[in-house]
Amino acid sequence: MWKETLLLTKRSLLVTLRNPFSFIPNLIISVFFLLVYTSGLSGISALPQFGGVDYLNFILPVSIVSGAVGGAGGAGQALVKDIENGYFARLLLTPVSRTAIVLGPMIAGMLQLFVQTLLIFGMAFLLGLTIPAGAPGFFFTVLLALGFGLGFAGYSVGVALKTRNAQAAQAGTLLFFPLIFLSTTFVPKELIEAEWLKVAATINPTTYIMEGMRGVLLWEDIDWSALSKGLGVALVLGLAMVVFAATNARSALKK
Amino acid sequence: MIRVHELTKRYGEQEVVKQVSFQVEEGEIFAFLGPNGAGKSTTVQMLTTLIRPSGGSAEINGYDVVKQEQQVRLQIGVALQETGIDEDLTGEELLLLQGRLFGMTREEAKARALELLRLVGLEEDGAQRVGRYSGGMKRRLDLALTLVHRPTILFLDEPTTGLDPASRQQIWNEVRRLNEEFNTTIFLTTQYLEEADQLADRIAIIDEGRLIAEGTADELKGMIGGERIELTFSEGAAAERVRAAFGGTVEKGRLILPSTGMETLSQVVRYLDEHQLTAETLLVKQPSLDDVFIRLTGHAYEKEGE
Repeated sequence: MWKETLLLTKRSLLVTLRNPFSFIPNLIISVFFLLVYTSGLSGISALPQFGGVDYLNFILPVSIVSGAVGGAGGAGQALVKDIENGYFARLLLTPVSRTAIVLGPMIAGMLQLFVQTLLIFGMAFLLGLTIPAGAPGFFFTVLLALGFGLGFAGYSVGVALKTRNAQAAQAGTLLFFPLIFLSTTFVPKELIEAEWLKVAATINPTTYIMEGMRGVLLWEDIDWSALSKGLGVALVLGLAMVVFAATNARSALKK
Repeated sequence: MIRVHELTKRYGEQEVVKQVSFQVEEGEIFAFLGPNGAGKSTTVQMLTTLIRPSGGSAEINGYDVVKQEQQVRLQIGVALQETGIDEDLTGEELLLLQGRLFGMTREEAKARALELLRLVGLEEDGAQRVGRYSGGMKRRLDLALTLVHRPTILFLDEPTTGLDPASRQQIWNEVRRLNEEFNTTIFLTTQYLEEADQLADRIAIIDEGRLIAEGTADELKGMIGGERIELTFSEGAAAERVRAAFGGTVEKGRLILPSTGMETLSQVVRYLDEHQLTAETLLVKQPSLDDVFIRLTGHAYEKEGE
C-alpha cells in the first residue's frame, strides 16, 4: 500500500505544481498576516503578562495555522476535479487500496502546507525572529504544522468526497476560520475577559495546536505539557480525518 | 466470461436495474442496447465493482463482483462514459502511473506505455499534456489506459456517444481488432441501434431497468417477422382504408404492413389500383432494430436530445 500511496502522492504534487494559482494566493496571504500583525500589534508585548516575550514569536503560530486552514482546501478541490473529470473512478478501478487513493492528495496537501510553513518561517527570520529554545523549537513547530495540515487536508478531502463540490471543499475548511479567532490567537488566555470566549478557546482544537507551538517558540525552556497536548490533538485530528476520507471514497460515485 | 443473475439496483424507492440476468461467453462482443436512463451505466458500475448491487449476483471469470473485488479488477478494463483522464498530466505520465498502480516495475510500465501509445496512434503526442488533446484523441488515450494491465474482459460504456462519424468508425475498428487479435471479451453499452447491429455478436435490449430481449441481431429482427411493406399517403383516410383491408398499423399517414413476400405486394398494388388510391411512396423493408424496439417496448426509440 505504501508504494501506491507514494506514487499517488507524487502525482498529486505534480498536478499542484502545474497549477500554481492553487497555492500562491494563500501563501501570500499568510505572509501578509505575519507582516501586518507584527508591525501593527507588536506594542501589546510590552504588557507585563507577556513577560518580555517577542510579539513576533507570539504571532508566528497564528500565521502558520491560518495559512494551513486556508491552504488545506486545495487538497479537496483537487479531488473534486478528479471526480469531475472521471480520473477518480479510474483510480477506484485499479487494485490499489481505497486508503492509498485518499492518502495521496492528503499527503500532497500536507507537504504543500509544510513548504508554506517553511516559507513563513523564512519570512519571520528575515523580520528578525530568534527562537530561544533553538532548533527543537523550530522542529516541533513544523511537526505540529504537519499534523494539523494533514488533519485539515483530510477534512477537505472527506468533504469533497461527500459533496463532490469544489466550493464546499473550500468552504468546509473556511468554516474553521472563525476557530482561529475563538482562541488564544491574539492574546494569552489570561488576558481574555469574556467568559464565553474562554470556553470557546478551551474546546477549540486550534488552541492546542497554537499553544503547543508557543510552548516551543516563546521561552528557552520547552513547555512539554503544552507541546504534548498539541501533538496529541494533531495526531487524533489527522487519524480521524484519514478514516473520514477513506470511508467516503466509494460514496463519491453514487449518482 | 460474465455471468449475471437477477442483478438489481435500488436507490431509495426507485429500482433502476430490475433483476437482470444474462451471460457473456469468452471472446464475445456483447452489446447492451437501450435509451438514456435505461440502467446501462448502473449495470456497468455494478459489474466493475464501482457500486454495490442491491440484490442478485454477478461473476467475472468466476470471481464474485462483491466478495472478490480485487480479483475482478485485475480481470477487467473499463472505459466509462466520461473519459477518466487527468488533463494536467501527459499521456505518457498517465499510462506510466496506471502501469505502476497495477504492480508493474518502472521499466515494464514504460515499455507498456510506449507500446500502447503506438497501438492507439498517439506516439507523437505522448509528451503532451492531455489538456491539449482533441476529443477523439482523449477517447483513444482512455482506451489505451484501460488496456494497460492486459485485461481479458473490456467494459465500454457508450464508447462513441458524442463522437463524429469518423472517430466513431475508428473506435469500432479498434474494438473489432482487440476482439479478433487478443480474443478480448467485450461488453459494450450503446444507445445507437446501428452500433449494436454493426459490432455485437449478441445484443440485449434494456428498457426502464428491465432486460426485455436478448439474441443476435438477426434473431431479434426475426422476432417481429420478416419483411414489411411501408406505404405513405397524403390523406389519412386512404391509409385507414388500406389498413381495413390488410391489417397493419397506421401512424401519421404511414401504413406498415407485415409482408409474406411478393404475393402481398402485388395484392396491395392491385387494391390501390382498383380503389383509385394513390400512395406517395411504397417501400419493402427489412426489419431494423428500431422496429424490434418499438414492438417490444410499445414506444419509439428515443435518442439523446429528442
